[in-house]
Amino acid sequence: MRILIVEDEPDLLASLAQALREEGYAVDTADNGDDGLFNAEGTDYDAIVLDVMLPGIDGWEILKRLRKTKKTPVLMLTARDQTCDRVKGLDTGADDYVVKPFDLEEVFARLRAVIRRSANKTTNLIEIGDVQIDTAARNVLFKEKPVELTAREYSLVEFMALHRGEVVTRTQLYEHLFDENDTTMSNLLDVHVSNVRKKLGAEFIVTRRGHGYCIE
Amino acid sequence: MKIFKSIKWRLQLWYGLILVVVLAGFGFTAYQLERNRQFGRIDQELHRRLNVLANALHRPPPRRLDQGFFRPPPDQMPDEAPPIRQENRPQPEFRLPPEAAQLFGTNDSNGFYFHITSGTENDRHEIARSENYQKPKAVIQFDHFFDQLNHADLPPEKRPAKLKSMDYQDERITADILPSGELIEVGCSIAPELNELRHTALNLAAVGSLILLVGLTGGWWFVGCALWPVSAISTTAAKISAGDLSQRINVADAESELGQLAAILNSTFARLETAFAQQKQFASDAAHELRTPVTVILTQTQMALARERDAAGYKQTVEACQRAAQRMRKLIESLLELARFDAGQEILKKMQFDYAKTISDSTELVQTLADERGVKIMAELDGLEVTGDPERLSQVVTNLLTNAIQYNQPSGEVRVKLESQTGLAVLKIADTGQGIAPEDLPRVFERFYRADKSRTGAGNAGLGLSICKAIVEAHGGTMEVASKQNVGTTFTVRLPV
Repeated sequence: MRILIVEDEPDLLASLAQALREEGYAVDTADNGDDGLFNAEGTDYDAIVLDVMLPGIDGWEILKRLRKTKKTPVLMLTARDQTCDRVKGLDTGADDYVVKPFDLEEVFARLRAVIRRSANKTTNLIEIGDVQIDTAARNVLFKEKPVELTAREYSLVEFMALHRGEVVTRTQLYEHLFDENDTTMSNLLDVHVSNVRKKLGAEFIVTRRGHGYCIE
Repeated sequence: MKIFKSIKWRLQLWYGLILVVVLAGFGFTAYQLERNRQFGRIDQELHRRLNVLANALHRPPPRRLDQGFFRPPPDQMPDEAPPIRQENRPQPEFRLPPEAAQLFGTNDSNGFYFHITSGTENDRHEIARSENYQKPKAVIQFDHFFDQLNHADLPPEKRPAKLKSMDYQDERITADILPSGELIEVGCSIAPELNELRHTALNLAAVGSLILLVGLTGGWWFVGCALWPVSAISTTAAKISAGDLSQRINVADAESELGQLAAILNSTFARLETAFAQQKQFASDAAHELRTPVTVILTQTQMALARERDAAGYKQTVEACQRAAQRMRKLIESLLELARFDAGQEILKKMQFDYAKTISDSTELVQTLADERGVKIMAELDGLEVTGDPERLSQVVTNLLTNAIQYNQPSGEVRVKLESQTGLAVLKIADTGQGIAPEDLPRVFERFYRADKSRTGAGNAGLGLSICKAIVEAHGGTMEVASKQNVGTTFTVRLPV
């Protein structure tokens, strides 16, 4: 899962980015409106955390322009908790909002929720054959036994599970599992896929030669 | 009694009292006039009859043969014979002429009667009386009063010209003593008149009560109409005190006294509303400014505590928290400073000092920053002294200089000029930056207002210029800004010398 954070307060940006990376997300950051809009339009993020007050283009404007081309879920960070601000945010196309000062746990939960909703899922539990994925607790059961997955492996499983039935290209996987700071080696993805197959069964991820991977 | 403290009730009470007094006075006067009219008429009748009797006494009718010798039986002379009782002892005969006799008797609703006596006061003997005269008691009492009334003791020429009458029970009597000594009393019943007067009084009372009722009702309505704006004002004021400051009193009649009051109140409410809105905006902005550092502290600490960290990780968190706390401290200090200026509690020193020196000191303070940005400061300072707080004014100058450097172009210029103009020390600080957009210009002194929404400079909460303005105004000076985009911005501070 790859996330963009647009926030101009450096200390807040740093702590949010670190906390989300520790949650297993691939995180890109922008500290002003122009960079934020550029990134948001150029990459398929799974979600965007967007501050309202920004130097350059403000959060509302980014949202308005982004919605012309992309449906990326957006979680707004606002310092104003007045109803008119929330209404404005939701009407402009925000998927949810969090009022400052917030708890990190709440941001995590709301992020999961907007990502889940964008994949048309209503609960945190995904069941695929013998595999059960709990996206809130970030754990995976195989034949009702917990399976140890690395953060990257878990992200791979979660992303594939949320796009169940679709063929996911390698490019897509690189985009969603690695952030702009990762130095990706071309075979790294194959390593993760083969590790997941070892842990969850060889048929869990099907290879569509020439296209990509798929969970059926 | 709370009810009598209301203006409406008090007005009604006074109005009712006045109405009652006026109506009572009017009714009493009307009654008296009617009474005088009635009794005047009766008195006229009495005097006419008195005169007739007096004339009859002194011009006796021509003697007739049968007079004194023959007295016809009473039933043979009913028409012309006056009801006269003959006395036994010899005396001049008195005969009432027929036309006069008609004036007395019971054929009239008043029943006029007469009684003629002669002799002295203690020895009166009757000369004649009408048949219906039957109240010697009244006469006895009348004698007594009559003397007082008509001064019978005085010689005739000294008596009052007009005879007075008096009332005894439901009768009215008058009397006269002729020069020849006869006492003539004439009286009548005034029962019909009294009855009529009683009716008049009742009618007056009834009409008066009706007028009073109508008057009070009308008065109540009028007072209500007159006081309606007052209750409208108090209703609106109550709504406003309940928190809805957008309410206004409906000023239908702006020319009236209450209309003017309503207009004054409305403008007061408008100012209150503006002040409240500003206050609300200020509190909301202050809360907003505090939210960001609090968010930093919350997320930093929550992230740090989520798992074990090395010393460098914790240090990073603590440093971030420190920055957030410093930012909050600066913000709180600025807010308190502004609040003190608002409340007029900021104590300023008052001393004569070298303004030009203070400005050149401030220029040196910001020189490092200017060098970093490659900005050149050019000062042209006339030696001037002003009275005030040198530290506070130095704060203003430093703040303006810092802004002029920060918002300047690289290798731009800042021109500082101090000169005297008509009793004012005028300081101009001009930069060569991009200038302030015309729509932002009127708002730069507003609290928390930032022309660019950037908050990258920690502690730049948009309060600096507000504080500067507050300081200058506390010195009795003014501060203004002019700007041209892509040319530069000039701040002007005018202080009294």
